[in-house]
Order: sequence, then C-alpha cells, then structure tokens
Amino acid sequence: MMASSDPAVIQTRALSKRYRTVAALTDCTITVPEGRISALIGPNGAGKTTLLRLLAGLARPTGGDIAVLGTAPRPDPAFLAGIGFLAQEIPLYRRMSAADHIRIGAHLNARWDGTSVRQRLEGLGIPLGQAVGTLSGGQRAQLALALTLAKRPRLLLLDEPVAALDPLARRQFLAHLAEAAAGGGLTVLLSSHLLSDLERICDHLVLLAGSRVQLCGDVDALLAEHQILVGPRKDTTAIERDHTLVHAVRTPRQTTLLIRRNGPVIDPAFETADVSLEELVLGYMGQHADGPSPAHLSAIGGDQ
Amino acid sequence: MTWLVWRQHRNQAYIAAAALALFAVVMLITGRQMASQYHSALISCAATHTCSDLATTLNLGSPVLFLLINLTLLVPCLLGVFWGGPLVARELETGTAQFAWTQSISRSRWLAIKVGWAMLAAAAWGGAVSALVTWWSSPVNALQHQNFRAGQFDVQGIVPVSYALFAVALGIAAGAVLRRTVPALATTIGVFVALRVVIASYVRPHYMTAVTKTYRLAFAHPMPSIPGSYWQVSRGIVGPGGQAASSAAHSGVGVSINGTLVTLPPACNSLLSQDPPKIFSCLAAHGYRAFITYQPANRYWAFQGIEAGIFALLAAALVAVSVIVVLRRDA
Amino acid sequence: MISFRLDGRSVVPTYLQIVQQVRQALRMGVLDVGDKLPTVREVVAATAVNPNTVLKAYRELERDGLVEPRAGHGTFVVGRPSGPPPGTHSRLARSLAQWVRSAREAGLDDESIESLLRITLRAAAEEETA
Repeated sequence: MMASSDPAVIQTRALSKRYRTVAALTDCTITVPEGRISALIGPNGAGKTTLLRLLAGLARPTGGDIAVLGTAPRPDPAFLAGIGFLAQEIPLYRRMSAADHIRIGAHLNARWDGTSVRQRLEGLGIPLGQAVGTLSGGQRAQLALALTLAKRPRLLLLDEPVAALDPLARRQFLAHLAEAAAGGGLTVLLSSHLLSDLERICDHLVLLAGSRVQLCGDVDALLAEHQILVGPRKDTTAIERDHTLVHAVRTPRQTTLLIRRNGPVIDPAFETADVSLEELVLGYMGQHADGPSPAHLSAIGGDQ
Repeated sequence: MTWLVWRQHRNQAYIAAAALALFAVVMLITGRQMASQYHSALISCAATHTCSDLATTLNLGSPVLFLLINLTLLVPCLLGVFWGGPLVARELETGTAQFAWTQSISRSRWLAIKVGWAMLAAAAWGGAVSALVTWWSSPVNALQHQNFRAGQFDVQGIVPVSYALFAVALGIAAGAVLRRTVPALATTIGVFVALRVVIASYVRPHYMTAVTKTYRLAFAHPMPSIPGSYWQVSRGIVGPGGQAASSAAHSGVGVSINGTLVTLPPACNSLLSQDPPKIFSCLAAHGYRAFITYQPANRYWAFQGIEAGIFALLAAALVAVSVIVVLRRDA
Repeated sequence: MISFRLDGRSVVPTYLQIVQQVRQALRMGVLDVGDKLPTVREVVAATAVNPNTVLKAYRELERDGLVEPRAGHGTFVVGRPSGPPPGTHSRLARSLAQWVRSAREAGLDDESIESLLRITLRAAAEEETA
C-alpha cells in the first residue's frame, strides 16, 4: 500500500508565514503522499497550527507555494469539500446539539454522510439531543471528528486533537481515526507536541522546530536512514565527514552519536544501534534546542 | 446556510418577536383610544368654533406613553448591539468560524447569507416599530404640527428603518474588525449615538435651503401664518438696512421682541414708557421688519428620504468593509 | 478469531508483533486452517495502530503462505508455520545448556551471557545479509 510513488496530497515549497514581525513558519518544504497518517510533531510554538491553517486555506501564506489535493488552498466549495479540518479548541456551537450539527453539515456540504455520525455517536453512547457545551471533552472531540469525517474528505487536518483528552478518550479517538483511514482514500496530517500520542498510528512524520522543518518522510525510511553510534570519547571528524551528524552527547568517557548515514558505518570502536522514533525526534529537537542548526542538517530539500 | 442562521439566532428572534408583539398591543389599544378621543374633540370644537385652540386645550396620550415612544429611539441601537455586533465577532471569538469556513461553503456566501438575514430582520423590526409609532402618532401630529421635532421625526416614517440597517451594519463591521464581541458592542453604541447626534443637530437642517419670510412688525399679529408642520430654523427682527437688529452698533435702549434684543432707534426711545403696540408701529415705521426662516411642511418626506438615504449609504459602506475584512483576513 | 495485544513501546516493530502473534496462535492451535483473521478495520478500531501496519503484517503472513486474502470476504488461514523437525528443539537446547555451563565456569554472569548472545545473533544476521 505504501510506495514512494504514491501521489502527493500535500506539497509545499519554501512556504513561509509571517505575522507582522513574527515568523510563524519559515521555508517549509514538505510532501505528504496519499494514504499516509502523518504526524506533525514539534514543540509548542513551532508553527504546527500555522502550517495546518495554511493547508486548510484558513490563512494565506506570505511566501512560497502550497498544493493541497493538486490545487492551492482557497475558500471555495470545491476545495473545501476535499478537506476536513479540526481546530485545536474543537470549535462547535456550544448551545446546539449533536443532531443540530449533523443538520448543519447536511446544509453546508453537498456530500454528507449524517448516518455515519449518528451510528458512531450511538456506538460511543454520546447523546444526540444534548447541548454540545454539556458534553465531556472526549465526547466533543469524537463528535467533531465524526462530523469532519462525514464530509468524506480526502485529506484530514487535525490540530492537537488529543492534547486535552484523558488516555481512554485519546485511545478511542485515535481508534476512530485509524478505522476511518482503513477505509482507504484518506490521508491524515495530525499535530501533537507529544510523539507518544501518535507513534502507533503514524507511518509518516513531519518534524517542525523553531518554525522550520527538521524532518519529513515515511517513518520506516527515516528510521532506516539513521543510526545511533556508541563508543569511546574520540575524534569523530571521520564519521562526521562520511555521514551527517544530527546530535551528539559527549561525556568524558563516552560519545553517543545520532547520524544520518551515507552507507555503512565502518568504525570498530563504535557499537551501532537502531534508532527508535522517539530517539530520532528528540535528537532533531535537541539539535535545534542547542542552537541555530546549519542548513545542511535539515533532512529536507535534497541535502545530499 | 439559512437554516444555520435561523438555528443560531432563533432565540433572539423569538424574544424580539415577543417584545414587538407586546409593543404592538400597547400601541393598538392606546392608539385607538387616542384617535377616538381626538375625533370627538374635533366634533365638539367644531360646534363651539374653538378648534383653533384645540392644540392647547386637548391633552392626548400620557407621559408614560410618550416616554415609550421616545424609547423607540433606542430600537435601532438595540438591534445593532444584539444582532449586528455578535454576528461575526462571536464566531471569530469562539472559533466556530473555523468550523463553518471548513464546510463546503465559500466564506463570501456564508457572510452574505448571515448579513442578508440580519439586515432583513433589522429592516423588518425597525419598520414594524416605526409603522406602529407613525400610526399611533397621527392624531398628535395633526394636533401639534410638530412632525420635524427630533422626538417625532426620528421615530416615524422611513428613517427608523434606515437607522436600524445602519446600526446592524455598524455592529457587524465592528465585530469583523475587532474580532471580539464586547468591544464591538461598545463601539457600536458609541459610534451610533455620536453619528446620530451630529447628523440630527448639524447636518439635517441643511438638507434643503430654508425658506425665509419677512413680515411687517405688528403687535396684534406677531407672526404670519405658515401652513402645517413646518420646521422653524430661526426667527428675528432685521433693521432698516437689513442688518441684524440686535447688533450693538450704537448704544441705546433695547427691547426684546420674539427673543431678539432690538436696539431702539432714537426716534422710538420716547415711546418706551408707553404701550408696546406703539413701539411696534414706531419700529415698523423706521423700516424694522420681522422674519422667520423655516423648512416648509411639504418637505417632510424629502427630509425623511434624504436622512434615510444617508444612513442607508453608510450601512452599505459598512457592509462592504465587513466583506473585505472577512474575505481578506486570515481566520 | 483472535485479538492482538500491541505494545507501542516494544523494540519489536508493531507489524512484527502481529505476525508473531498470528504464528504463535497457529502453533498453539488457537487458529487453524480455514479460520478468518480480523479485518484491518477491526484491528485498527481495537488497537489504534496504522492500517498500513496491519496490511504489512498480513502481507508478510501471506508471503509465508500462512494466510490468503479472499476478495470481499477477508483474510483466511491456509497453512501452518513450518517448524524444524521434531527433536530439533531439544537437541539444540542440550548443547546450549552445555555451553552455558562452560560460560558460567569461565566467570560470565547472566547479563554478559545475554549480551554475548545478542552480539552473536546480530553478527550472524549481518553475515547472512552481506
């Protein structure tokens, strides 16, 4: 099912967004192929929300290009019918019931599957007639996701959907999402500042830090490209010459390196280990936190 | 989309409809009483030939009712605050705009339908209140001939409809620009009141060039008769050279006529201790004349039309501002 | 029908956990030829893993000749994992026990033995792939 030849559902090139003097997103070039569930990971303030809003056409870029489902995002019915967007605050009309929202969706969308929402809510025991403001956070999130899916979108953009949920609600939400994705034809980009929320469900990763893209690609490929090296404290210039050093931890006795490798590592002094997704993400985030990152360390845009 | 607008605002609509119904009942009951009271007064005065004094002898309505009528001045402002202000601002504030704007509907259509219904409702309510007040006031208008008075002109005819449209458009635009409900409401009230006062006090008198009539000073008939509910802009006395009579060109003894202090020419000074009629004829003999500047009664609807047009244009401009802001700005 | 317990924190990739659990179920007789595996949709609805992960696992099982997708019906068990001939396990266990004894005598503790075993396994794997 996953192949590098899958057509791109999201493609951005040198995308930037400034709010007056603040750069919310800088030089962002990403590709998300069809059928992926992509994790948009990054610390708070990294530009995740900005990117999602640009992709949904809710905000306009100040630089660069975006293609979503083959066109530039714009607020017209043809484009909007293809995407589902769920904002972080889960905005719904608090005084209205779930049934009211289902009816609103039917009025505002040419393609609308209200029955699926009813079935989902009945399955979860969420009352249809009660004002949405009186539902729990988890119930509201489930309702919002069901409503978003009822449009039968080809791309789902979710902004921190599970951040405010308890573990059970989080699991139910993600299961709901995974089930929708299993139907096929759906690409998902969901943001979080916690990788652990998304690790199981995502097969693609976009890592943002400091308003820039640090990593973008299929998780399996990214993991295979990177390696952890553990060895004695010694000169690592040879390794750094052959490979791209992402992050290094040096103690008086020991050196731990996270590298993006170009070919096999041949240095008997170092023990090699596979990198976990968490180590990979933390490595790139740590690199950013240490100071401004040299451009060539960005995994994006053909750094080889 | 229309269904969504109705679902969002139906409670407001119910409350407004109930208030309007209550107001209509009060107006219809008291209006009928007042009309029959006026009719019978007309019949009885015709029998005794005292109809010219009717304006001073007949007391129509009650202070409470006139207070209620004056309070309808606030109706456009209330519509602007409760319907206009939150229309866009609340959706931006609570984020529901993002929900609406990611359904399969264009932002311009969303706004057009919301604004369209709000304006239509404002016009309907403003028009209904105005129609009731205009009908209720017809005996009072016929009796007092004061249709141009601010308390009457501003609550009757077609201007209240235009005020309502303007207030709602103002609320919508303030909400779209400020993106927060409460500041939008405060702005709506402030701008609406300020603009209404400025236009009513300083602009309205000049919609058309006022008519000036000069007439002979005479004690017995201080005023020529002007038909209907004319609007007096000013009145006074002019001297022989056409100059304002109150000018203190030369010091002398003055006398107050019609609120104007007239400096008596030396020839009339000696009459000061005598009868007032003699002073009048002396002044008239020396070329002093009285004048009145006014807007004739038949200009009433022209004035209503001009004022309504001004506020309708302002409303249209504010709607345009709202559209530009909503379509151009990021959500 | 079986259900999967998938541990996101495990070093074993999720798809491999599914493969292993199906194999285990077949060895234990929980699953037999002709049984139906849960659909991808059912698995992800219960576990919140990526559907592609489940597909990958099912494809791997299919490649091994253990299961077979039938269009519109689901994925069915068609074979059993081929184990080594009977007796292989016990024979190897005996020689391993002997080796462990000599390692203990040489002064290695359990941790060192485990570490040595891991390194050897990895070296062997690299030799195979090389």
